[in-house]
Amino acid sequence: MKELGGTNGVSRRDFLRSGLVFGVGAQALASGYAAVPDVFARAVLAAKSAAVQNDKVLVMIQLGGGNDGLQTVIPISSSQYRDFRPQLSAAAAKAQPISKDVGLHENLKGIKTLFDAGKVAIVQGVGYTNPSFSHFDSIRVWETADPARRQQDGWLGSAIAKNYDSAGHPLVGCACGTTNVPGMLRDLQATLTVIDDVKTFGFQGGQNVEDVMGTLYKSTPGIYGALFDTAMTTVRDTVAQLRTSSAKYTPKGNYSDKVNLVYSSKNQLAAALQLAAELIVTGTGVKVLHVTLGGFDTHYTELNRHDALMNYLDSAITAFHEDLTAYGMADRVMIATWSEFGRRPKENASGGTDHGTASPIFLIGDGVKGGLYGETPNLAKLDQLGNLSYAVDFRAVYQEILASHLGVDAKEILGQSFDRVPFVKGQA
Amino acid sequence: MNEPAAKPVTKKRGLRRRHVLVGVGAAAGGLAITKALGLYNLPGQPSLPGQSQSPTVAGIDWISPLDKPEAQVAHLLRRATFGATPAEYQQSMKDGFKNTVDRLVETKAAEPPVLAGADDATQDKPIKPQDLISWWLDWMLRTPTPFAERMTFFWHGHFTSDFRKVNLQTPFIYWQNLTWRQMSLGNFHDIVYQVTIDPGMLRYLDLGTSTGKAPNENYSRELMELFTMGVGTFTEDDVRAGAKALSGWREPVTQAMYDALVKRAQAQGRPAPRNVTPDTVKTGVFEQQRAYVGGVKFLGDVRQWDTKSALEKILAQDSVAPFIVRKVLREFVTDQPSDDYVKRLADGFRKSRYDVKSLMRDVFMSPEFVAPANYRALVKSPTELMVHMAKALETPALAKAIGLAGQGMGQLPFDPPEVGGWPSNASWISSNNVLERVNFAQATLTGMAKIPAFNDAHTTHLDGVVSPATAQLLNSSPDDATRWLILLASPEFQLK
Repeated sequence: MKELGGTNGVSRRDFLRSGLVFGVGAQALASGYAAVPDVFARAVLAAKSAAVQNDKVLVMIQLGGGNDGLQTVIPISSSQYRDFRPQLSAAAAKAQPISKDVGLHENLKGIKTLFDAGKVAIVQGVGYTNPSFSHFDSIRVWETADPARRQQDGWLGSAIAKNYDSAGHPLVGCACGTTNVPGMLRDLQATLTVIDDVKTFGFQGGQNVEDVMGTLYKSTPGIYGALFDTAMTTVRDTVAQLRTSSAKYTPKGNYSDKVNLVYSSKNQLAAALQLAAELIVTGTGVKVLHVTLGGFDTHYTELNRHDALMNYLDSAITAFHEDLTAYGMADRVMIATWSEFGRRPKENASGGTDHGTASPIFLIGDGVKGGLYGETPNLAKLDQLGNLSYAVDFRAVYQEILASHLGVDAKEILGQSFDRVPFVKGQA
Repeated sequence: MNEPAAKPVTKKRGLRRRHVLVGVGAAAGGLAITKALGLYNLPGQPSLPGQSQSPTVAGIDWISPLDKPEAQVAHLLRRATFGATPAEYQQSMKDGFKNTVDRLVETKAAEPPVLAGADDATQDKPIKPQDLISWWLDWMLRTPTPFAERMTFFWHGHFTSDFRKVNLQTPFIYWQNLTWRQMSLGNFHDIVYQVTIDPGMLRYLDLGTSTGKAPNENYSRELMELFTMGVGTFTEDDVRAGAKALSGWREPVTQAMYDALVKRAQAQGRPAPRNVTPDTVKTGVFEQQRAYVGGVKFLGDVRQWDTKSALEKILAQDSVAPFIVRKVLREFVTDQPSDDYVKRLADGFRKSRYDVKSLMRDVFMSPEFVAPANYRALVKSPTELMVHMAKALETPALAKAIGLAGQGMGQLPFDPPEVGGWPSNASWISSNNVLERVNFAQATLTGMAKIPAFNDAHTTHLDGVVSPATAQLLNSSPDDATRWLILLASPEFQLK
C-alpha cells in the first residue's frame, strides 16, 4: 500500500509546523497550499491508499435521546396509529404525504422539497436483534456497530484509523458543536478533532502561549500522557488550519422564506452544521463529521416538543444543503441521521412515549438515490413488549455509507456483510 | 524507584532562561519563537528536576510520591475536595492523613447562604440560570466543608437533573441541590427514597406525571439502570412493573406558584383553579387515587407494592453495592478498579447497611487509594479543575467566570448533557477541552490585579513531581505569572 502522506511526502502536520516555526513564511506557504485548485485535494492527500482517494465527505447527525420515528415518518393511513396515540396522532392530518402510507412531519418542509428532488433516501424500520432500551447501552451498540458489545472503538473511528493518516491530518475526523469526542469517532489509533465554537478556537495570549503549550505538552508521562500530548498537537494543527481557511468562508445559501440564510443562531444544530460547512468548503481535509441534536427523549408533552425538534432539524439541514449547493459541493457530502432507538407505539399518560425500537434513518445529498427503503413499520404486528419489529439492520446502512459513499472496505470495519440498501447513486 | 526530591525553584539559576521567554513575550517574530522552542539546548541544569526517566521512552509513568505523608495528604485533598488553598493544605499537613480523613468524613455539610428569591420562583419570577450556577460554584469555593460539597457534586452527577427540563419557574432544582447536600453523607436507603420523591426528580424523570392507569417508565428504568443496579440486571417487565409500583406521586405547588396561578387566571378573566391548593411540603405529594392498585411481579415477587417496598426490593438486589462502589471508585480512586477491590468494599458497604460515610472512609483508607499505580490516575472534571485553580490562586471571586467557562469545557452545573450525568476521566481530554482549559488559566491570570507569589506552589499542588518539559519551563519562566500559567495549564494539574 502506497503511503500518501501529503504534499511532497510532507504530512499536513509537518507542513503546518514548518509554517509556524518560520513565522512570516507560514503565510506564504499556507497561501500556496490554499491555492491548490481542488480544495478537496487535502482530503485526498490524507488517504492511506490510492483505493480510498476520493472527495466524499460524511456528516453524521445524532438525534440524541431516541427519535420517535412514528412522528417523523408518520403512518398516515394506519388506524392502529390513531388508536395507539390519541394525542400524538394529531400530527397525521398535517403530515406531508410521500407515499400512500407515510407522510413527513409537517415541519420537515425543506427535507420534503429535497425528497421530491430525489435527494433524500429514507430507510424505514432500522434496528437490530435483541434491542436494548437503555440510552447508553443502545448508543454504544450504534457507535461501535456491534450488538454483541465486544467492540470498544467507534465504527467511524475505526474507518478513519484504517484508511486515513489522521495523525498527519487531524481534521480528517471532526466533531462540531460539542466538547468531547463522540463515541462513533473514538479509536485509539485515530486522531480526532473537536471544535465547540470556531470563534473561540484559538489560544488566549496568542502565539507565545501557543508555543509554550507546545513545549509543555511533550512526552507527558502516565496513562493519559499520550492523550494530552495528541490533544495539544491537534489543537495547534487545527488553529493553524483555521487561520489559513477562516477568511475564505461566508455562508451562501438562501433558505425557505428567503431570509438570507443563515444558519439560525438559536439552533445549536445549525451552528454546528455551519461550522461543518466551513470546514468542508475551505478544504481542511475533513472526511467525517459528527454533530448532535439532543432532546429526543420525549417521555412527556411530546407533540409540541417534537414539533420544535423537527423544525430545528429541518432548518439546519436545509441551510446546510443550500450552502453546500451554492459552493458546488452538495454532490460530495452525504448527511446521515442516527438515533439510539425509536419509541413505543402506544403513548403514555404524560402525552409522551417511552423507549422503543426501530426507527427511520435519513440520508441526504445530491449523491443519494432518493426514495423509500426498508419497510413501513407494521403497527398490527408488534412484538410481545408492544414494540415495532425492525426490517433493516443498522449495519447494512453503515455498510452502504462506507462502501458506496466513502469507498472504503466495509467488511474490514463491520466484520461481516449485510444485504445491500442501495441508496447511493451510480451504485447498483 | 528513587524519586528526585523536588526543590523550590531557585531564581538565580533560572535567570538565563528567563531572559529567553521575556524575549518571546516582547517579539512576535519567528526568530524569538524558534529560540523558545530551542530551550532544551541551552546549557545548564534545570534547578527543578523533572522526572529522571527518559522522556523519549513511550509509556513511562509518573513516579509516585505517595510513600510520603505530605504527598498522601495532598492527593487526598485533590480527590476528596476541590483542591486546597495553601492554608487548608497546611492545616491538613499538621493533622496528618488519617485525622484529615476523619475530619472530612465526619463533618456535616455546611449550608450555603439562601439564594434570594429561589424559594418563591414562579412563572413570573423564574430563577436566572446564571444566578443559580454562580451561587453553587461560589459555595464550592468558600464552603468550610469541601468534602461534603464534593459529595454533593458527585450525587448531582449520579442522581442528575437539569434546569432545562425541570425549569426555573419553580424552586425545585434549587431545593434538589439543598436536599442532595443534606443527604450527601447519609444512608443510601434514605438517599434513594429522597431522590425518588424529590420534586425536581419527579419532573426530570416524569414520575410526577406517572399514574397507575398509564404509567410512565422513565423513572423506573433509570432508577434501576443508572441509580442503583446497573444495566443488564433487570428485565423489561421489571421496568414496566416498577413504573406501576412507583406511581401515585405528583409535584408540590408552593404558595408563590399558587398565587401566580390565581393572578394569571384573574388577569385572563378565568376563575381561580379549583383543583389546585398550595402545599407546604418540599417533597412530592402522594395521592392514592393516582397509584396502581393490584398485584404485580417486580424483581421476582408478586405483591401490592408501594414506593418504600419497591425501593427496598431494589436495594436488596446483589447488584446494588458493587454498582455504587464501582462508580465511587471510578470517581475517587481509579478509572479501572479491579473486581476484587470492588467486591471487598461492596461487602463492607452492605455490612454497614449502606452507610455512605463508612464507605467513603473505607475508600480513602484502602491501600489502593495511595497505591503508586493510582497516582494521577484520574482526570479532573472542568468544575474540579477551575475550582482548584481559584483555590490555588486564593481568588474566590471566580464563580461567575467558572460558570461561563464550564460550558465550553463540557460541564455546567445543573446542566448535564444526559440523564447519565457527565462523562469522566479520558473523556475530558479532547482537543477542544484541552484548549479551553489552557485558555481559562490564561484568562484568569490576565484578569487578576495581583498574582500571589508562586513560592513552592509546584510542591503544594503537584507534589514536586513534574515532567522534564514542565520542569524546564518552570525554571525558565521570567516571573511568577508565567510560572502560574505553566503550573495551572500543565498536564500534571489536569490530573488528580
